[in-house]
Amino acid sequence: MNPAIVYLVELGSGAILVTALAVIWRHSLQAYIGAFRLQSFLLGAVAALLSQLQGSLELLGVALLIALVKGWFIPRFLRRLLARVGSGREVRPYLNVAASLLICGALVVVAYSATADLVAASRLPTRNGVPLALAVVLIGFFVLISRRQAITQVIGFLVLENGIAMLALMVSYGLPLMVELGVFLDVLIALWIMQVVVYRIRDTFDTLDVTRLKGLRH
Amino acid sequence: MALALILLCFVAGAVLCLLPYRAWLPGAHLGLAALAAVAGSILVAELDRGTLPRRWGAVALRLDALSAFMVATILLIALLALWHSRGYVARELARGGLEPHQAGRYYLYLDAFILMMLIAVVVDNVGLMWVALEATTLATVLLIGLHHTKEAIEASWKYLLIGSVGIALAFIGTVLVYCDVSILEPAREGALDGSRLLEQAASFHPAFLRLAFVFLFLGYGTKAGLAPMHTWLPDAHSEAPAPVSALMSGVLLSVSLYALLRFKPVVDLAAGADFSARFMIGFGLLSLGIAAGMLVIQRNYKRMLAYSSVEHMGVVCLGLGFGGSLGTVAALLHILFHALGKSALFLLAGNIQQTCDSTQITQATGLLRRLPVSGRLFGVGTLALLGAPPFGIFFTELAILRAGFQAGYLALTLAAAALLAVIFAAMLAHLQRLLFGEVERAAAAELTVAPAAFALGLLLLLGVWLPPPLARLVERIGMELMP
Repeated sequence: MNPAIVYLVELGSGAILVTALAVIWRHSLQAYIGAFRLQSFLLGAVAALLSQLQGSLELLGVALLIALVKGWFIPRFLRRLLARVGSGREVRPYLNVAASLLICGALVVVAYSATADLVAASRLPTRNGVPLALAVVLIGFFVLISRRQAITQVIGFLVLENGIAMLALMVSYGLPLMVELGVFLDVLIALWIMQVVVYRIRDTFDTLDVTRLKGLRH
Repeated sequence: MALALILLCFVAGAVLCLLPYRAWLPGAHLGLAALAAVAGSILVAELDRGTLPRRWGAVALRLDALSAFMVATILLIALLALWHSRGYVARELARGGLEPHQAGRYYLYLDAFILMMLIAVVVDNVGLMWVALEATTLATVLLIGLHHTKEAIEASWKYLLIGSVGIALAFIGTVLVYCDVSILEPAREGALDGSRLLEQAASFHPAFLRLAFVFLFLGYGTKAGLAPMHTWLPDAHSEAPAPVSALMSGVLLSVSLYALLRFKPVVDLAAGADFSARFMIGFGLLSLGIAAGMLVIQRNYKRMLAYSSVEHMGVVCLGLGFGGSLGTVAALLHILFHALGKSALFLLAGNIQQTCDSTQITQATGLLRRLPVSGRLFGVGTLALLGAPPFGIFFTELAILRAGFQAGYLALTLAAAALLAVIFAAMLAHLQRLLFGEVERAAAAELTVAPAAFALGLLLLLGVWLPPPLARLVERIGMELMP
């Protein structure tokens, strides 16, 4: 157990949480994509550090995959989507920045209290990152339900997905490789389909404000 | 091997879709689905004689009675859906609702959807099961989005987001289960196999598994359409093409419950049986309540059918929660009966929609004269789903209520019975308007009715006579699920 590596992993976990919060206080979709890209690279770096800790080549492969797919490909994909639908600003959210940040603070507390038992029972050196990972999941979920712009909702989903990947790293050094590959494939297909639906929403409703979608009731 | 043949049928179907669309494609799909159904009955017969293989190359399989039962149900409804699709696609092509290349993609996504459901119920690794279930969401979103109407786009966006987030919660649950396994046993080979989890269940940490089950229940419960996570369901099921609605309502919801059933015995062993039972009963009853309320005020016959699915998933959950061999066996048979009845009704609702060009009840009145055969079958199917004897649902609902009394949940069981009565009255009132209301137009040409008639006939037959192999299969599942 190299203490320096454990320290770096904890530092990286904290930084990932900060990048999730960046989506709350920034205002442009470009900035959200930048925050997501930084978050993915940090996640890849944490996975690479853990592969050092465990001496696992499999985990190093997962780290490279995270950096390549989530750090490089997905942000590029989102930028192209943004350029084509041409709407760089966020639609006015339901809540202002201050209220949103307060709620996110509460979510971090919730994450700590929900995982207290788990952290106490775990013997892995990464256990202190578990509450942070759950907090990233909850913040992604909050972005998803509190924003009205379709692409921001997609970014909320991706942050949530990163949070789950981080949780898997923290509680068990990641899942078996076959499952990880399946999850990557699903995320990529989901993203492709989300893009298709976003284009259709734009073409049909002439807006990306999804609160305008209210034809179906009861 | 029967399983290989089943999967190969749908892979072959998908490959055919990559060719330019030809008029024989629907017929070829029907043939492949029939072949797969034959292979499915061979699979059940093999299981009846002994056990089935546990591995397939690098992938561990879980071919026990529960899996075989789900495979058979999926194949049966897939056969109905592909049978009905022949007429459905021909009519959509004729009226310009679909372009030929879209018809090819319709079949491609449908094959992928069925294939993913089959994979989800036969793999042993619960992580891969999750991957396959997420893939079913993606395939069905594409199917709902085939028509570019405002409603279809809205439904697919809501379904995509709620479905993906819901199933992401289930993934957190899977990760938490895995974390417990990896602490006990650093070797990771096969650590997420469902059968291994069951063997080690007694040594798991109860607190971990309780937290994991909460996530798993909320996640897979979202996909199974349990209230209050059901909000996507009426939109998605009412906007999808009729054969897709039949598959989504008839089997996809139950496949998500299957995923929960894979974890339930593990959690029961580790944390006590009460824990999961309380969740199932609570959410089951809530689903019944919300479905009852929405059915009373419903004005759209396809959404009526969708809310009826919320109701029936609630009933299945109640049966599993009340437990005992009576409740469990009745819940499983209820899955099969609901699949047959609900898919028949969605197929008929597709006919009604194509004739009346509306999904509002007020626009589709007087069906007895307008669409005599579809209308009559719709009436019979609705009565069967409401639990009228001699259809099987009458017996399973009665058995589930009895299991509730036996388990000592007197007040809750009475509440469930009262809600079932409200639903009966509400749907009967809607049915009466649909069948006997005034007609402005004369009788229309009858559309595809054979698949729905076949399903309802089978439902009637199974209500009065359960074939011995099926009875043995269901009993075996009851024993498998007991901790």
